[in-house]
Amino acid sequence: MATSYSSDALQRFSRKHIPLLYYIRKPIFLLISLALIIVYACFLPNPQETSAFFFYLNLSVLIAVLVCWCVIILADWEKPEYVKMLVAFFLLSMLALLFYRFSGADWARLIHFFFNFPIMKGSWHVLFRGLSTTVILSICSFFSCVFVGLLIAIVRSFKYHSVNLLITMYVDIFRSIPVIVLMVVLFFVFPFLGMYLNSYLTTFTALTLSYGAYTAETFRAGLETVSSGQVEAARSLGLSRWQTLRKITIPQAVPIVIPVLTGNMIAMMKDTAIASIVATPELLKSARELYTAKTSPTPLICAAIIFLAVLLPLVRLVNHMERRVNKSGPHY
Amino acid sequence: MDPIIRVESLHKSFRDLHVLRGVSIEVNRSEVVSFIGRSGSGKSTLLRCINRLEEPTSGEIWIDGVNIHEPYIDINKVRAEIGMVFQSFNLFPHMTAIDNIMLAPVCVRKISRQEAKERGLSLLEKVGLAEKANEYPEKLSGGQRQRVAIARALAMQPRIMFFDEPTSALDPEMVGEVLDVMAQMASEGMTMLIVSHEMGFIREAADRVLFLDEGKILEEGTPDDIFNRPQFPVTRDFLGKVL
Repeated sequence: MATSYSSDALQRFSRKHIPLLYYIRKPIFLLISLALIIVYACFLPNPQETSAFFFYLNLSVLIAVLVCWCVIILADWEKPEYVKMLVAFFLLSMLALLFYRFSGADWARLIHFFFNFPIMKGSWHVLFRGLSTTVILSICSFFSCVFVGLLIAIVRSFKYHSVNLLITMYVDIFRSIPVIVLMVVLFFVFPFLGMYLNSYLTTFTALTLSYGAYTAETFRAGLETVSSGQVEAARSLGLSRWQTLRKITIPQAVPIVIPVLTGNMIAMMKDTAIASIVATPELLKSARELYTAKTSPTPLICAAIIFLAVLLPLVRLVNHMERRVNKSGPHY
Repeated sequence: MDPIIRVESLHKSFRDLHVLRGVSIEVNRSEVVSFIGRSGSGKSTLLRCINRLEEPTSGEIWIDGVNIHEPYIDINKVRAEIGMVFQSFNLFPHMTAIDNIMLAPVCVRKISRQEAKERGLSLLEKVGLAEKANEYPEKLSGGQRQRVAIARALAMQPRIMFFDEPTSALDPEMVGEVLDVMAQMASEGMTMLIVSHEMGFIREAADRVLFLDEGKILEEGTPDDIFNRPQFPVTRDFLGKVL
């Protein structure tokens, strides 16, 4: 009886057909199809000799097949991770290769315009002076933001309704005004009110007002993660509001808030580039001056490289800190 | 002798919800008073109103003969004399057990850290956790957390202790260790107000039991009276369900 029971179960649990994907995922099939794809790529028609339609049809088919092939491997959770890495790298390099071969770009001219090494050499020292302005401005603005934001969040946590209405108005208004508009208003409109801010002060004030609003929201969210039970426990022990804030709420909120604050800092550092419109001699402004002086966009590329070199490590740092706060799951 | 706590016609509403509808009680020194009743009957709110974690809507509260709503009263000084133990422990997760206990004596009583530490360690010993002084709360079991919370409240040398369902969040095997500490405090003559569903403990330890229903004190008496001879059908019904 036992055998008939199990064979009955086998019948009930079986699929009608083994799915096609099972065969497609076998390594031997994948290797053969890869070889076919490469052969196909080698025998692509020459664009000069055939009609454009026929050439682009072939090219699209090739790219479609290539992407499908990669997706089959990338979406298979049984394949080891290093294979997927290789496949992803292979896909990107194939696409780059196809673009280089068939896009019709004029690489020599491109390099002459954007990566002109003699011009690059002459630009660095000017750009670094701009960078120092950028860094100093953003650090000053950052600290004043943190001060403003923390102050606002603390006042807000006391829940005085009329005060909170004012705070909400400030936060909402300044979060919806673009920084660039704020700078223009401060720089070009305020002199009519008898207030003259130089370009540095304009940038500093605009960034503080705008990012102060964001920082206030960040701190508010951080303070709200601390449960009301914590505050009640502290108050029931006889701690005053201020002591509770200093000893209980803020120490618990800060580790949560720091990654977000660093994120704000990065956004702010990028936004200092906007200060170039009010003639603050920061990184982008220096690059644009060089661009006019040397009639070459190379300095702009250099500025981009500098921004990347400074900010990318900071972005990685934020990821690292977030991982330490969350302590869960892989982060890339 | 004057009662240490006197509450007169206390009302509390949260918007439309009328939680306390005129509660008046008196608690004498060294008395252990227990509040029972269905959830939502206002037991916890009553405790929280007495040390003004919630502001009462109306009514008056005297502690040690002083009306705590008078403008010259510093509520922090009143609270310092009322220890409170919560259902969810509410230990400070960023501090070790001993730091949790030392915080309030150092910040509020302004005693030296050295003295606070000595007192804290002896309290931890009293609740049987001397070896856990430098552990963070997340490393402690529920019962151990609640005992640290009790030690934290005791560190202020309070004259009154409030317990707001101190064992409701505990696994059953940890309830005993917390109740033992509470029974010891009661035998040492602490004035205690206890909201709890541990009827066995209340029967043993309480001097007086108050049954709350819909924001009013429906019935009060000795544990013997309440548990064995309840007057009202509501009380009988409630006790039938929990005993």
